[in-house]
Amino acid sequence: MRKLEFIIRRIALSLLVLLGLSVVTFTLARVVPSNPASLYLGPRARPEEIARVEEQMGLNRPLPVQYFYYLRDVLRGDWGNSIATKRPVLQEIGDRAPASLELLFVGMSLAVLIGVPLGVFSARWQGKPFDVVTRTTSIIGVSLPSFWLGLLFQIFFFRMLGVLPLTNRVDSNLRFTSPINEITGFYLFDTLVTGNWIAFQDVARHIILPALTLAAYPIGLIARMTRATMLEVLSQNYIRTARAYGIRQRIVIYAYALKNAIGPTLTVIGLTLAYSLTGTFFVEIVFNWPGLGLFTVHSLLNVDYPAIMGITLFGASAYVTINLVVELIQAWIDPRISLG
Amino acid sequence: MFRKVFFIAVATALVASLGLSAASAQEDVNVLRVAATANITTWDPSLSFSTEALYMANMYELLLYVNPPGSEERFRPGLAESWDVSEDGLTWTFHLREGVTFHDGEPLTAEAVKLSIERAQAIGGASFIWAPLDSIDVIDDLTVQFNLSYPAPLDLIAASLYGAWIVSPAAIAAAEEDPEYFESGVDAGTGPYVLDDWTPDTEVVLRRYDDYWGGWDDAPHYDYIVVSIVPEAQIQQQMLEGGEVDLALSLPLENIDQFRDREGYTFYAEPSFYNYVGFLNTRRPPLDDVRVRQAISYAIPYDEIIEVGAWGYATQSRGPVPAGVWPYSEEVRQYHQDLDRARELLAEAGYPDGGFSLVLTHAAENQTEARFAPLIAEALGELGIEVEIRPMLWTQQWEWAKGNPEEAQDIFLLLYWPTYSDAGTDNLYTMFHSEDTPFFNLGYYNNPEYDALIEEAAMLTVTDPERAQELYIQAMNMLVDDAPALFLFDAQAVFVVPDTIEGFQYNPNYPFTMNFYALHPAQSE
Repeated sequence: MRKLEFIIRRIALSLLVLLGLSVVTFTLARVVPSNPASLYLGPRARPEEIARVEEQMGLNRPLPVQYFYYLRDVLRGDWGNSIATKRPVLQEIGDRAPASLELLFVGMSLAVLIGVPLGVFSARWQGKPFDVVTRTTSIIGVSLPSFWLGLLFQIFFFRMLGVLPLTNRVDSNLRFTSPINEITGFYLFDTLVTGNWIAFQDVARHIILPALTLAAYPIGLIARMTRATMLEVLSQNYIRTARAYGIRQRIVIYAYALKNAIGPTLTVIGLTLAYSLTGTFFVEIVFNWPGLGLFTVHSLLNVDYPAIMGITLFGASAYVTINLVVELIQAWIDPRISLG
Repeated sequence: MFRKVFFIAVATALVASLGLSAASAQEDVNVLRVAATANITTWDPSLSFSTEALYMANMYELLLYVNPPGSEERFRPGLAESWDVSEDGLTWTFHLREGVTFHDGEPLTAEAVKLSIERAQAIGGASFIWAPLDSIDVIDDLTVQFNLSYPAPLDLIAASLYGAWIVSPAAIAAAEEDPEYFESGVDAGTGPYVLDDWTPDTEVVLRRYDDYWGGWDDAPHYDYIVVSIVPEAQIQQQMLEGGEVDLALSLPLENIDQFRDREGYTFYAEPSFYNYVGFLNTRRPPLDDVRVRQAISYAIPYDEIIEVGAWGYATQSRGPVPAGVWPYSEEVRQYHQDLDRARELLAEAGYPDGGFSLVLTHAAENQTEARFAPLIAEALGELGIEVEIRPMLWTQQWEWAKGNPEEAQDIFLLLYWPTYSDAGTDNLYTMFHSEDTPFFNLGYYNNPEYDALIEEAAMLTVTDPERAQELYIQAMNMLVDDAPALFLFDAQAVFVVPDTIEGFQYNPNYPFTMNFYALHPAQSE
């Protein structure tokens, strides 16, 4: 019962946050000195045509009125048309979100699969060479800007070794050899369920470098956080007691210590997951990855305010949802956290 | 134990399989892989007024085309086999090619031409090019007549890259019902390629149109054109050199010298119709004084700007009309850097040691402008004029300039090119004819004598081109003397074409496009 109340309260709060955010973005996007109607018509449109489109788009109404209509349309599922591409914003986001989310998912999986073990081993062999190397690399991972790291990867794996592709999600020849049958837009999944093994390999080869680039920062963060909490837990009395009982080192570490140490790491993972959603933007530019990041950059440069609004709302909703889910998982793992 | 073995086995299999490279394309289709920056802002051929021209020009066709400067014939037939114009330049008749079909199966008729042009005139992004057009008459199935309200070069207008594509009447009817009809990627042209598939910001795939009237048997044309949309020139170069694409249309100018003498590539540096001007605000002191504007024109280091801004791939402009496009003329004068003359003029105007400051705006996204703007500031600094450089997003730079001229920028850098190949009615008119509300005349130049000259010249373009040219030269020299703008340079278009591709043709009349139908793989042996 308390759980339900908690969830409802959090959701209500999240909606309030989104509403506030939409007001701020709408205002910001519209006080920028530029005219959406002239953008819509392109660089050489005549003043009379601009006036006509302004009328059509309702741009001559007061800003609060425009906001009211915008909000009404958004709630009805009409997020407006992008000024630059003239297609519905919701469709533009829907077309691109799978590419970004797939990259995010693979990147974060790599981060967890690499970061947590690194942290655990580092704590176990504290002060030993493995620990030193891990700590150094994780600092590098945290401090190297992703676009720079991405370029280094490209030079090394594409130019020097020639083993991995440079950009994009798939090879342009793939459509002639084994075209992907799009179901969800998540290519790894789509190719796997359709048994398209050649395409799966191609997709996997393309996602490695961007995913690693995206994962570099969270790997370092997760490794350091896991290491720190592991060290703290390993020095606790109950661990010493367990060891005194002669329980095997492996069981002490994985069964007893890790479970208690993983809480803070989970928070970090949740936060970086949301944070990496924006991190994908840089990675997408470097690897020409056809996701939301590229779309966002174009929209910002074109002052394409319906698109900017749409992306912000989408990103904020994702952020809020992820945070909510992480809080719930934490409460579930650690009974000490109350649902107050 | 079993778990461990299983895990290792799976991991090994995965790694091994990833090591295999993707299978190569089928042998029997010719695919050309291209890297280009061209994005799509609309698929509607009547609205199109931007970078999607690269694709439009391969999917749709014009009644006729302008040949590159220096060609024997000025025009080349397109969907019209021939055309003629009445003595007074008011009536133009086009005789259409027989047996042409649109991609949706509809036949090409005079009615289709009428509907296409009327639609472009009504809603087109470039609708203004049809300003002289009064009405269109269908004479018979394959003859169409354009009636103008004043004499104008309709041949140049109909050959425009924007707002002149001929579209299937069925698609026009569908778009009447649903204005967004084309945007899902509908193509209804007569061109050699159809739109096969497309992913926004990523890729455009063109497939050959089997019933193309030009035929496919004369040469081994490409069956598919796969264009990867790559905004970064550096990445395009990587893709070209790494073999991910066969052709890259925008290589980084700073690296392009590497290809000059490289085995396996042919290098082209051709005149283009792009030119850079720097509007001087004629409505605000101190630039409202013509002597100050002339002084600034004398202070500019033109050669260095070309060297730094365009890596040497440009020539100094003669007025606002780029070399090769009508009514360009060698008789138009140029300024050359002469700081002493500049100081004299400043002293005459009452600023012997400079002592004022100017705001220069340029488009932040234009790297060329960002590179050469400091040279202008430096040169003016030597005259005691302080220049504040303000990079702004193009849209914001333009919005500010269109506001109140008295509060606007002092110097406005602009990259300009004519919509169709008549810089008289475009460059000279759009940038310098007086305007009630500022639009593209961003030096706010207002000279009734100049207005009268170019208005008269425009009327004579068809009936008396020699006289028109004389008037234009007079007008352009007037601009040079009044100096409402700095005439910086005409950029060159630089291309690197691998020897594996033959048939490359460059035509400055159609910037941002490439005729894919003309290309074919080099015959080995």
